Amino acid sequence: MSICDLELGEKAYIHSIAGNEKLMKRLMALGCIEGTEVCLKNSAPFGDPLVINLRGCDFCIRKKDAKNISIKDTQEE
Amino acid sequence: MKTAALIGNPNVGKTSLFNYLTGSNQYVGNWAGVTVEKKEGFLDNKLKIVDLPGIYAMDTFSNEEMVAKKFLIDKEADFIINIVDASNLERNLYLTTQLKEYNIPIILVLNMIDVSESKGIEINYSLLSENLGVSVVPISASKIKGIEDLKKLLLGGIFLSAPTDNDFHFQNEKEAYDFISSVLLKCINKKHSDKKTSTEIIDRIVLNKILAYPLFFLILFLIFKFTFSWVGQPLAGFLSYVIDDGLIPVLNNLLSNSSPWFSSLIINGIVGGVGSVIVFLPVILSLFLGISFLEDSGYMARAAFIMDKAMRKMGLSGKAFIPLIVGFGCSVPAIMSARTLESEKDRKLTALLVPLMSCNARLPVYALFAAAFFPGNETTVVFSLYLLGILLAFTLGILFKSTIFKKDEEPFIIELPEYKAPEFKNLLAHTWDKGKGFLKKAGTLIFSISVAIWFLSSFNFSGMTDINHSILASIGNFISPIFIPLGFSSWQNSVSLLTGLMAKEVILGSMGVIYGGNLRVSLLSNFTQISAYSFLVFVLLYTPCVSVIATMKKEFGNKMAIFSVFYQLSLAWIVSFIVYRLGILLFK
Repeated sequence: MSICDLELGEKAYIHSIAGNEKLMKRLMALGCIEGTEVCLKNSAPFGDPLVINLRGCDFCIRKKDAKNISIKDTQEE
Repeated sequence: MKTAALIGNPNVGKTSLFNYLTGSNQYVGNWAGVTVEKKEGFLDNKLKIVDLPGIYAMDTFSNEEMVAKKFLIDKEADFIINIVDASNLERNLYLTTQLKEYNIPIILVLNMIDVSESKGIEINYSLLSENLGVSVVPISASKIKGIEDLKKLLLGGIFLSAPTDNDFHFQNEKEAYDFISSVLLKCINKKHSDKKTSTEIIDRIVLNKILAYPLFFLILFLIFKFTFSWVGQPLAGFLSYVIDDGLIPVLNNLLSNSSPWFSSLIINGIVGGVGSVIVFLPVILSLFLGISFLEDSGYMARAAFIMDKAMRKMGLSGKAFIPLIVGFGCSVPAIMSARTLESEKDRKLTALLVPLMSCNARLPVYALFAAAFFPGNETTVVFSLYLLGILLAFTLGILFKSTIFKKDEEPFIIELPEYKAPEFKNLLAHTWDKGKGFLKKAGTLIFSISVAIWFLSSFNFSGMTDINHSILASIGNFISPIFIPLGFSSWQNSVSLLTGLMAKEVILGSMGVIYGGNLRVSLLSNFTQISAYSFLVFVLLYTPCVSVIATMKKEFGNKMAIFSVFYQLSLAWIVSFIVYRLGILLFK
């Protein structure tokens, strides 16, 4: 499961992130790390990019990058 | 004098604080080697404050971060003013934990305390100060109280610098965030509320699937109206009236007794050349006021968000859409507004594509030619030129993306900040910053080029003469052969195009002088329909005016400016050639 599989408004927890190294580093600096709650808040009119909420802030990321952020249902391992 | 580095995340009110601390006592420039704005200012002439770019972390490889990092490593700062958003300490303090590693005393400014209080967040300042080993100063929207405290602290120079027991070397992001969470657990009392924030409500409308695009274009339309019909252009018209009907007659009187070459230099050369650029200032200021409003209110990030998908096709991100749209007005503010883009690559690619958006100054040329050669079809002809520009920008975007700008793929991630009403003072400061830069740099260059063109058009090797026998005419004759394949090779046209480098609307002025009489009639005997269209295509695409070249040089350096000149010249030649030849093939 990745962030792309969430319904609008649905919440989950980050499991792991992969993909472009720079983007990973940036997402992690913004607190996108294992166990963090994430919410899919919105999508652009044509479905891409997406708005996700991390630690109280909204961020816009592209679908292809969101696919690389895998999620889980509970905070624990 | 001591130096303080002002540092913090984007969208936390850093620039606003900088303006409050330094007032008008600031200097704007660029950091060496990168197009990252460098701002310095002074507090009471006793403390130098350097505004470092807004960043989220020190180690995620952006130009902005490298600039900040180098500044701290080089020990240029005696202490750090770290401004954070009090309503979102968790993420903001991540940067603080990284700043701690530099062992420079930190003053933590908690901004927007009022917002955080309204969200039910209570912060224990002294406990926070103790846990992080930094001085803490809260500031609220009204600012006055907090700012005075901060100034006192800064000038007094007595603040917490003792290291805490905590070790600020974290293995990874998770450790740092775990530490921040543990500190916040102690220092913050948060009443959880599920109330919808005003930002969520506005976003529901602004990002609505059906309304998003119409609203976006309505906002752009309003800014264009503001710039080109309500405020900017009328002011520009007034300014040019003052110059043409006020200043020039006065100068004519004053200079009536001086030698003709001197009065010609002053009036035709300097006032004519520099004046034609100065009159753009109101347009540029209006446009930037509108753009600053979009930026400060938080809408710009939303525009980037909804335009991203389309822009990605040409190798740019959604953010680059705004400069391209501004380009329809004037390429100068458009290239300057490319500054707001994330990466160097995006800024350069955008700047190269911006001049293909047909600017305001080219419109008079289209209008006259269309009326003369395509009566009844003026709108179609003019519209086709705009469309051609857009299509070429798109094509070249794809081309550049897969060739010269291949490497350096920047990750795309934009914060959608909370909406807020822009502060008037900040808007003005923002706008004036840009306008000042335009006046200073473009002004000096335009001044010298105006004098040069005046000289070339007024003299030949035996002395002062009329334009038909001037050096400019000889140059026109010299370059005109390259226009033979394009269908408009007279020296008059060549010279007009050459003087069009000053500003594209000058093309008409020059033609008026050179051809004399009724321009529309003389054009009919000098062009065919096909060569007229080929000429218009050339006007659309060839080298942008000196103001644009000067801006390009100022923002990106000589190499980019020269590249821009030659690539557009070749592009214009090739496309005009194709248009002319196809036209002959199809219609003759």
